[in-house]
Amino acid sequence: MRQVVVHPERCVGCMQCMAACAAAHSQSGFLAAAIRENPLPAPRVHVGSGRYGEGFPNRCRHCDPAPCMTACLPGAIYRDRILNTVLIDPSRCINCASCAMACPFGVIRYHRDPWVSPNRAVAVKCDNCVHRQTQGLIPACAEVCKSGALTFEEPEGAMKRRTDEMARRTAGYVEQERIGEEAPGFMLLRQLKKRAIQLTE
Amino acid sequence: MRHLILGSGIAGLQAARAIRSTQPEAQITMLGREAEPPYARPMISQLLEGAVEPIHLDLGLPPDVRLISEDEAVSVHAAERTVATLQGRRLAYDRLLVATGADPRGIRAENTDLENIHFMRTKAQVREMLRALPQSRRALVLGGGLVGFKAAYGFLRQGLDVTMLIRSEYPLSQQVDPTAGKLVRDKLEENGLGVLVGKDVARFEEDGAGRVWRAQLTDGSVLDCDVAVIGKGVLPVTGFLEGSGVDVDLGILVDEQMRTSARDVFAAGDVAEHFDLARDERWVNAIWPEAADQGRIAGLNMAGVPARYPGSLSRNTIRIFDMDLTTCGLVNPPEDAGFETVQDGDAKKGTFRRLVFSGDRLVGAACVNRIEQAGVLRALIAGRAPVPCPKKDLLREDVHPAGLFPFFP
Repeated sequence: MRQVVVHPERCVGCMQCMAACAAAHSQSGFLAAAIRENPLPAPRVHVGSGRYGEGFPNRCRHCDPAPCMTACLPGAIYRDRILNTVLIDPSRCINCASCAMACPFGVIRYHRDPWVSPNRAVAVKCDNCVHRQTQGLIPACAEVCKSGALTFEEPEGAMKRRTDEMARRTAGYVEQERIGEEAPGFMLLRQLKKRAIQLTE
Repeated sequence: MRHLILGSGIAGLQAARAIRSTQPEAQITMLGREAEPPYARPMISQLLEGAVEPIHLDLGLPPDVRLISEDEAVSVHAAERTVATLQGRRLAYDRLLVATGADPRGIRAENTDLENIHFMRTKAQVREMLRALPQSRRALVLGGGLVGFKAAYGFLRQGLDVTMLIRSEYPLSQQVDPTAGKLVRDKLEENGLGVLVGKDVARFEEDGAGRVWRAQLTDGSVLDCDVAVIGKGVLPVTGFLEGSGVDVDLGILVDEQMRTSARDVFAAGDVAEHFDLARDERWVNAIWPEAADQGRIAGLNMAGVPARYPGSLSRNTIRIFDMDLTTCGLVNPPEDAGFETVQDGDAKKGTFRRLVFSGDRLVGAACVNRIEQAGVLRALIAGRAPVPCPKKDLLREDVHPAGLFPFFP
């Protein structure tokens, strides 16, 4: 089954996935209209920056077993086996934030949400755009990503590409300066950012 | 295969779920002291507060689990693989899980058996507190631990005058450091809580109809109260294991597969003593999420699926009016024991964060407000690996996985 796969080395930190995610989970479904809604739609993918300004789209991993699910007091968190997605039932959620302590990736937020709970704050996180997938669309973050940092594909395929690249590197076929060719340009950008920050430190 | 589970709390329930998921045919029997089927125990505080209805606490049972309620074990005979119960039952097992939990500690005061003096451990106790609520105006809470705190908070939300008797300068002294503790106390006092430090109840007095009317304190002063809650901590329920061959320290000693010293006997939850990942020693962390995890691991092992439990961590997430607080691991390390503390706060935003390190390992964290990333800190503590970035970077309220590990998955 296809999943959203994150390729952090390709993230430039443009945050378009956040805007697309918020729009996809708004009442209107369109960015231009979504920005005028109340409550304001919030993204469920969070682009953070690393020590040297590296972008990183942080997104629910839909773990199995999911620690948030075990920690949920009212049993509001469950797994949709068909789409392999961990979901939160807003009508059962008591907004106790026990899941904040459970999630090792820090991807759960607590707020009113136009999509699931416009009047009461609840726990909100990535739902793999279940509503879009049932309409034959792919998750909004992967659709909008221009740099290939978020792709929607078979995880096995992505894993094999990564394994092959690693094998080529460690086998020494690739000269040192060509490492990162899988993501041309991105390595250079990262190195520039890192050097700039190291110089100011 | 016959599985017998002593206790119907979350550890027992998670074990039953794990067994059922791998052995559809196994016979599972659960023995519970309470009249209720399994429910989410921590939510009794939301029930007291009036934030949820009793039905919201129900957790349900996996298919084909036989629940014997209002009965408890009185002895375990590991050699014959049987358990004798208070109601005279003799239950046979192939695998036994002891998940009997913990009981509230009593206090030494006189007349604690008066009406409207409660422990706060079960749904039934909170139901009684709610029944007496319309006639109650003044509540007295003994102890500033988690239970005392939640009782006081629930009563405040229900509009009662609440006085809390605590030993330290601030509530939750086992969970928080002085700075966060002060913020908690201020927030509670701002909302009407009365706090008395270093005082205890000597005796309760009755109103002539068997109900509590007022409390005489150890210093001779007198406090009116129509309801009182005793929250002085809990102790593992292990008395019935005497002579069973199950080794008990404070709790039941278990290995990383949740096995006890007796063959085919497992233990999980508040009754089990495992290993604390932050303290680096054997410890009973009697908290719900650890009980759930331990129960799941025990159930898998009982069903013959090898699973390992790495150890436990104390942790709590608390919402107090508009303030959020999370704590995890060793927040108050002993002084002069070589721990390093890094902390920072922003009074205007109301945020505070304190981190405790042992060498280059994170062992404790307390966050006031902006708690969304608390799980990242918990995972760092549980992982026991050297912190991969400058320590002060972890103080950022938006501490991000990408900042911790290059090419984080």
